[in-house]
Amino acid sequence: MNLIKQLIQRRELIAILVIRNLKIRYKNSALGFFWSLLTPAFMILMYACFAKLLKFADGSDYLPFLVSGIVFWQFTAGCMNDSLNAIVGNTNLVKKVSFPRIILPLSTALANGVNFLLTIAVLVVYLILAGVFEYVNIYWLIPAILMHLMLCIGICCVCSVANVFFRDTQHIIGIGSLAWFFMSPVFYRTSMQTDAIVSVFGVAEASQLKGIVFLNPMTGILGAYRAGLMQNQLPVPEGVSLWWILVSASICFIVFVAGLIAIRKGDKSFGDVL
Amino acid sequence: MSTTTPVAIDVCNVTKRFNLSNTASSLKTAVLDLIRRRKHQTFTALNDVSFKVHKGETLGLIGANGAGKSTMLSIIAGTMYPTIGHVTCNGTISSLLELGAGFHPDLTGRENVLLYGSIMGISREDMRKKFDAIVDFSGLKDFIDQPVRFYSSGMYVRLGFAVAVQVDPEILLVDEVLAVGDADFQRKCLDKMDEFKSKGKSMLIISHDMHTIRSISDRIAYLDHGVLKGIGSPNEMAAQYGAATINGKNGDAKREWGTGEAKIASAQLVDSCGKPISVVNDDQQLFFELEYDAPERIETPTFGFSITDEAGRTVFGSNTEIEGFDLPYIQGKGKLMLKVDAKVLRSGNYMMSFSLHNRNHTINYHRLENHIPIYLPTATGFDGMCKLPVEWN
Repeated sequence: MNLIKQLIQRRELIAILVIRNLKIRYKNSALGFFWSLLTPAFMILMYACFAKLLKFADGSDYLPFLVSGIVFWQFTAGCMNDSLNAIVGNTNLVKKVSFPRIILPLSTALANGVNFLLTIAVLVVYLILAGVFEYVNIYWLIPAILMHLMLCIGICCVCSVANVFFRDTQHIIGIGSLAWFFMSPVFYRTSMQTDAIVSVFGVAEASQLKGIVFLNPMTGILGAYRAGLMQNQLPVPEGVSLWWILVSASICFIVFVAGLIAIRKGDKSFGDVL
Repeated sequence: MSTTTPVAIDVCNVTKRFNLSNTASSLKTAVLDLIRRRKHQTFTALNDVSFKVHKGETLGLIGANGAGKSTMLSIIAGTMYPTIGHVTCNGTISSLLELGAGFHPDLTGRENVLLYGSIMGISREDMRKKFDAIVDFSGLKDFIDQPVRFYSSGMYVRLGFAVAVQVDPEILLVDEVLAVGDADFQRKCLDKMDEFKSKGKSMLIISHDMHTIRSISDRIAYLDHGVLKGIGSPNEMAAQYGAATINGKNGDAKREWGTGEAKIASAQLVDSCGKPISVVNDDQQLFFELEYDAPERIETPTFGFSITDEAGRTVFGSNTEIEGFDLPYIQGKGKLMLKVDAKVLRSGNYMMSFSLHNRNHTINYHRLENHIPIYLPTATGFDGMCKLPVEWN
């Protein structure tokens, strides 16, 4: 609770650091902030063109499904990448001034979050144009964003602290994020994951155990986002209990708490190691 | 400073150890260390250091490189944690440790100022009010909207100092910042520090410039290899530090030799009444009491002395013969008083050597080289090693 009080006291610093992070990202670029909108727009355009040319997404909602998955995944991936420098890149500050260290990874996560919100705006425009947008279940965005934020803040804290002590972290993250990408239903459907559980581990078709894929928090997060924004999307595949979303949510929470603990434990040594 | 004055900084039994092998920063070494159960080699930067800085007091921190001064300041600033002991600070702290260190090169001066202010915990509104004063003080009006990577190092420091002092903390930590910046800016900084003092705020200052630190500090703490050697009046500590530096520089410069037929049994610095003292008065009148011991009669002995500066150059030397103080012979024990008027010498650290030899220098009975370190305190403004009488018409 003390931490929350501190963070509220330092909200201006957090705001300034978030803005700084964003500014530095677009430093010396003529279009500046517009790149936050242009990049996802071009990405969607690119996927759309190649999907048309190669005919791999004809006549289905696969293209919006894929594009949205990538947009959501990029928030997680962006946080993982930027977190490496959250503390190490601010060595000067950390060594010279005392302030709650969690502000550094937090502002990194939030800066990515701001970027992400802009990307979502572009995504919504695209979904409307593609005719698959649906706002009836939009309330699913609330748990989706909450879970995603907790997860990303947690990841930022853990990775930024780990990178202070072990510079191997950046390589581990490189490999780890690739593996995680393939384990998450970004370009395939969650039902394919549960089917795989059934066939590989011999779990009974009717068993709820196949919901074990929701131990990957991104599975729950992606499901919730898609359910909130797109037609005919359920947060969980058919035959899997909705309660499994809570498993993903718990994992997000655990990562978040782990992040807080990591910062707390690491703080005492930052000045010595950096 | 009375003990009832509130304490601004309380450093209590602080010991700081660094793990030397911790710097490897690799998972592999960490795992291997864990398996081998290898103990980290440690380096003790501070060893059981305790002192207090009272409210309104300025404490100088001196010591050779690596004595632990900056570590001490980092611990007080809260960027490092002591291994043992604790530090309590009452009041907001602003540290001038490497000015402008927190600046991001790609942001403009204006953005950096606002960022720095918010890091120091100042609201954006307050910072806006102070902004003009900061720009004025730094003298960077024309460059404030340029990214700071285009700044020269002097501009960087000026802006850093301007922000740090305008933040108006209750405790100011200053680490060797006056070495940079031109004379005009240094003047400004010193004025600002004086103003700070007069407002009754506390300061902790590190500097190798003994003149500055002596004139601005109320007390000085002297650190040597992580150990607090002493804390006391600026002149006393400066003298102690100066002696240690000279001794350290010249190895075992302090030595005595001679035939030993007669000896200078003791030589010490005293005041005009003959009482032993350790600090030279501001008028720079030096009094020495020499005791000699000549078991056998020595004909026409000559007592000499010389003053050498920090670089080991002889500044002045003379003896009884030159001065026309005739000693036909000495026998048994006796005392001599030596008075040297050193007010022409500029302030700094000096070493006194004494000698006892025969008239034509063929026999050295006893020589005490680099025997007494002295610190001359007067800081009269002139250039060079000594002040010559000058008259303008």
